[in-house]
Amino acid sequence: MAVENLAFLIPVLPALAFVLTFFLGKKLPTGGAIIPIAAIATSFIISLLITLNLLANPEEVVSQSYSWFAILNVGILVDPLAAVMLTMVTFVSLLIHIYSTGYMSHDKAPSRYFAETALFTASMLGLILSDNILQLFICWELVGVCSYLLIGFWFEKPSAATAAKKAFLTTRIGDVMFLTGIIVLFSDLFKIFNGNVPDGVYILRFDEIFAHIPDLAAINANIFGMEVSHITLITLLFFGGAVGKSGQFPLHVWLPDAMEGPTTVSALIHAATMVTAGVYLVARTFPMFIAAPDSLMVVAYVGAFTAIFAGTMGIVMNDLKRVLAYSTVSQLGYMMLGLGVGAAVGSEAVGIALFHLINHAFFKALLFLCAGSVIHAVGTHDMRQLGGVAKVMPITAITMIIASLALTGIGIPGTSIGTSGFFSKDAIIENAYLFGETTGTWLPYIFSIAAALLTSIYIFRLIFMTFYGKPRTDYGGHESPASMTIPLSILALCALVFGGLTTKTFNTFVSETFVNNFVNMDISSLATLGGYHLAEHAGEEPMLILWLPLIMALAGLVITFLIYGLKIVNMDKLVSRNNPIYKLLYNRYYQNSIFTNFISVKVIYEGFAFAGRAVDRGFDWIVKWFSDFTLEAGESLRQFQTGAVQNYATAVITGVSLLVILIKVVMEVL
Amino acid sequence: MNLMLVAPELTIAVTGLAVLLIGLFLPTDSKKILGYLASLGVLIALALTVSSLGTEALLFYNTVSIDALSQFFKIVFLVVALLFTIAGIKYTEGNSNTEEFFTLGLFATIGMMFVASANDLMVLFVAFELASLATYALAGFEKKNIKSLEAAMKYFIIGSLSAALMLLGISYVYGATGTTSIPEIAANSATLASSPIGIVAVVLLLAGFGFKIALVPFHMWAPDTYQGSPSVVSALLAAGSKKMGIVAALKVFVVALIALKADWQIAFAILAVITMTYGNVVALKQTSVKRMLAYSSLAQAGYITMAFVVLTPIALGGGIFYALSHGFMKAGAFIATAAVTYMVLSENKDSADPDHIENFRGLGKRMPITALCMTIFVFALAGIPLTAGYMSKFVLFSSTIQSGFVWLAVIAILNSAISLGYYAKIVKYMYFLPTDSEKVSEPFPYTIAMIIAAVGVLALGFWSEPFVHWAMEAASVLLTGGM
Repeated sequence: MAVENLAFLIPVLPALAFVLTFFLGKKLPTGGAIIPIAAIATSFIISLLITLNLLANPEEVVSQSYSWFAILNVGILVDPLAAVMLTMVTFVSLLIHIYSTGYMSHDKAPSRYFAETALFTASMLGLILSDNILQLFICWELVGVCSYLLIGFWFEKPSAATAAKKAFLTTRIGDVMFLTGIIVLFSDLFKIFNGNVPDGVYILRFDEIFAHIPDLAAINANIFGMEVSHITLITLLFFGGAVGKSGQFPLHVWLPDAMEGPTTVSALIHAATMVTAGVYLVARTFPMFIAAPDSLMVVAYVGAFTAIFAGTMGIVMNDLKRVLAYSTVSQLGYMMLGLGVGAAVGSEAVGIALFHLINHAFFKALLFLCAGSVIHAVGTHDMRQLGGVAKVMPITAITMIIASLALTGIGIPGTSIGTSGFFSKDAIIENAYLFGETTGTWLPYIFSIAAALLTSIYIFRLIFMTFYGKPRTDYGGHESPASMTIPLSILALCALVFGGLTTKTFNTFVSETFVNNFVNMDISSLATLGGYHLAEHAGEEPMLILWLPLIMALAGLVITFLIYGLKIVNMDKLVSRNNPIYKLLYNRYYQNSIFTNFISVKVIYEGFAFAGRAVDRGFDWIVKWFSDFTLEAGESLRQFQTGAVQNYATAVITGVSLLVILIKVVMEVL
Repeated sequence: MNLMLVAPELTIAVTGLAVLLIGLFLPTDSKKILGYLASLGVLIALALTVSSLGTEALLFYNTVSIDALSQFFKIVFLVVALLFTIAGIKYTEGNSNTEEFFTLGLFATIGMMFVASANDLMVLFVAFELASLATYALAGFEKKNIKSLEAAMKYFIIGSLSAALMLLGISYVYGATGTTSIPEIAANSATLASSPIGIVAVVLLLAGFGFKIALVPFHMWAPDTYQGSPSVVSALLAAGSKKMGIVAALKVFVVALIALKADWQIAFAILAVITMTYGNVVALKQTSVKRMLAYSSLAQAGYITMAFVVLTPIALGGGIFYALSHGFMKAGAFIATAAVTYMVLSENKDSADPDHIENFRGLGKRMPITALCMTIFVFALAGIPLTAGYMSKFVLFSSTIQSGFVWLAVIAILNSAISLGYYAKIVKYMYFLPTDSEKVSEPFPYTIAMIIAAVGVLALGFWSEPFVHWAMEAASVLLTGGM
């Protein structure tokens, strides 16, 4: 049997593992970790085989659809885009699960943990496999629910419960926009078909949506006096969903707080299963974005701004995991920027963004797992209390340094020597330059190059503060067990060489998702529809542009070494509450005050909620009256049921007589 | 004549007789095998019916008709019978009269199946009585239990009265049209429609069927009987025998007496509104779960009879689909109650009312599978989305609105809201109220029967389209049959 026929098993196996682990896990050793590990390993093998097969035979896209009801379907689609995502998610999730057997060994409820992570993985895989936007949305929501459960895994801690709620509510804002987008899309398509959808046509399937992009672009809406094409409206609403899920400004506030879950959950969320969903959504619907005027510009600007904005906050955090969290936000900004530059480079953008997504998954999972290893061993994640950890935990230190080199993107331009991050991040920055040349707007490029410097500063600051020098407190600790260090080493290998080995193949493979594949889109004509001018040729940037990202990365390394390694500047003096810039950054631009205290409490809670309460009271009164009345009626009607069978017979006879009369009367009246 | 066409009925009859005879020679300890035998027989009959889907034929001098409608309802009855026999394996454990329990259940099933395929009022009546007599005896199966005997007695007395009324109604129809064949009555009903006897005949027949469907005011036996009978028998009564009343009413009113449509539409409108409201309101105050389910099943019958008022193909299809869904939901709920009753009785033999809602306290911890299944059933009965109950209500209510009966739909929807009050109460007891009692093991046959029903409820809710289509096909038999 061809492996394509097993594609449906990729999400089904982890879902089954969830059920089994949930019910049986308690009775098995290590909380039944073996079940999800075996399931995800099998999913990984299937995904890998499908990907390799697709590489060899690009036309063998897996596409299976079944009618669900009416004009909607359920189905799976594995094209290059989905295939690489599936392989990455299963691979990273598998390593995290193996690592978790060590990390969660002291926890009270490991079976609940493994059941929930299995479901989390299953939902994400289902999301990737979906061949229609509705099924994707259902899995998208499932991912949200699982993240809520896992961030609040230690729900007895109030901070964890709050963080879980915050993550859920914040992403919900994006989800509502996404759903609105789907509704607008559905009604537009329905209109395009004149309400007459032929049999076997499922209008929310991606190929069907893409086939009607020109029709969608022709519909215009008038919003606040502006003529907006419906396709722009829909794509921006979709992007709103992606902003929530992928932690873009201004809905990124949940991501740093999501650190309250176990570190392995952070690794899952940040690397594989959740935040990449937003990037994937934009990549999946890329033909719509490129045909939508202004949408890609918005994507590029939001992405670039998020990259630099989160970077500035990353450099002042003292919590190991928080630095990594802001780093994720910043890198996600890069990915969005990578998609946004599609305005200049067309479908190649999907390739570069996805390439960075995959590389990021490797090194970010690695960073988190290393951080987890440190936390597991020494019991704290405040960097001010650490220092000199490299001596105690050599493997963790080496792998973490490799991950940091990958994150900063160290490599030699023009050759294929370099860490994974070098190939993908530099590609994004170079294309941002091209974007500047083509569209004449240079801000995204400037942001992205400045963010490269910040990236290097925050990550090497973390390395120096944690692993270098002498211990600042007496923390003890030991190297982690093999179940944890082996996944670290595997991920480190990927972070080192994956980028260099695959860069050419990967980009062409994924970039062709929408050409000569399950759909054959004419990207350049779509771009004309969206009013974008694609660059004629790529890769002709000046030497300086090629070298600048590396120079920035090295500069960051030197600066941090001078400050934290040689201590030539007394940071204690600079880092004080009197320094206004530090204060602004440390308080994270007062987002908490703005979002929580002002918008949530003042505007939404006190404004809307109090108005709502008055209305609610009225409803409450009506409902209460109605329920009292019916309960009362129930009580009195019960009296009819006397229990004496003679009465029952009387009721039957009376009923017959009355009915005859009633029918007569009603007939006369009508 | 091709005997294969009645093969399902024959299989059930042979199984019933075999169970009875084998049972005579078995010691009580080994009578468990009878339950498996009966389940196997039902399963074979079910397979035979499914394999002959799509055939149409008239048998026995045109008195029995095999068509989409009869096949649909036969499958409903066989599914309920399957749940009944599987659950019965546990219920009859150690009982010396096991063979009677299964034989009576199987004979009742044959009766229901022949009602579904009857094409003549005489066949219909005889089959109706076959099912009724078997269930009278089943209701009183616990011979030492005074409540069970009382239940059977009341059921029998009111049942006999209703049968007499029904027969009287049939005789009026025969007198006016000169035939008992359903299609011929439809052809000759002009005289009946013009005479004042017409209304009387309609109401008398309605009383006969309304007794089985448990429409107010012909319902008064139902709460007592459902409560007093063994829960497994209640499942058969509420899920199976009630549907027999519905299919009989469909055949007699929608096909045979379509000319008197104006009369019975009004009657059904009045009864539907009274029945659903009365059932839901009284259910709110019940403390016995079986009694609560009995009133809930009144309410559900009220919803289903809306199909007679609206009388469009979609509404009839919706009503028929509702009958199928209700079979799964209600049978499942009663079997879940049977499991709880069994648990209570095995802890305390003399428990006065083992189905009291207090016994559901903390069930989520004590019997997790039973509690989960029960939750699915009551949510389905309440009409929560993704369950069979939701899809049924959706099809039925939306067709009601489409045909302009907005007032009826509004009453039905308000009723659904009220019903959540008592359904949610069961869930509250199971999951939110604490208990000191221990976790107990869940009887295996009950669990299997509940899981089958729960899967059915979810499958019908999630993948409803083919089933709704199938129900529409069955409904189309009604609307073309009389032409």
